[in-house]
Amino acid sequence: MLNENSAAPDFELADHLGRKVSLSQFKGKQHVLLLFYPLDFTPT
Amino acid sequence: MGGISFPLLADFHPKGAMADSFGLYLADNGITDRATVIIDAAGVIKHISAVGPPGSRDIEAIVALCEKVDAEYTGEKSAPAAAAGIDSGTLYVKSGCGASRAAMLALENLHLGDKIAIKNVSDDAGAMGAMKSAAGNEQAPTLVCGDKTIQESGDIVAHMASCTAPV
Repeated sequence: MLNENSAAPDFELADHLGRKVSLSQFKGKQHVLLLFYPLDFTPT
Repeated sequence: MGGISFPLLADFHPKGAMADSFGLYLADNGITDRATVIIDAAGVIKHISAVGPPGSRDIEAIVALCEKVDAEYTGEKSAPAAAAGIDSGTLYVKSGCGASRAAMLALENLHLGDKIAIKNVSDDAGAMGAMKSAAGNEQAPTLVCGDKTIQESGDIVAHMASCTAPV
């Protein structure tokens, strides 16, 4: 996995309504928490 | 997390490409690790960890990490944006209707139950009358809130999500 204090790679993905969400849209505005999960209906 | 929404993003095509860019895609299994990444507003990774697909996250620890990242951050950041909130209203649903169920589930997930009342027009003639006078038809689900009357379940969900989006 990437190292802490390295630059996060930008991404742009669609949400459940098809709207594009990118990391760069938060730059200079907000912190971002990403929670990856392997499968639906599994614990947090 | 009452009253706020968060986007659920699909890392689907090309599959796992975004997770792979963070080194979190488990190519042998074709799934993504159960991983947590905190990125500060400058775009720097301040925390990255994974517990393995069968593992479970320590939510309290993640909250503490988020607070630490925010406390230590000295760069540019906008003031926390408050969600717009939703006007009080009513979600009219009918029995045995998948679209109604989807709208009710979204309402529950967004914790909007204290602002939006649910009324079932299948067994409540008064509710059916109120919905017809608002929407001009007998189509459920119908969301009536503020000065808006919204009828497609996708549009209802999108409206509820946009009212609760912090961005």
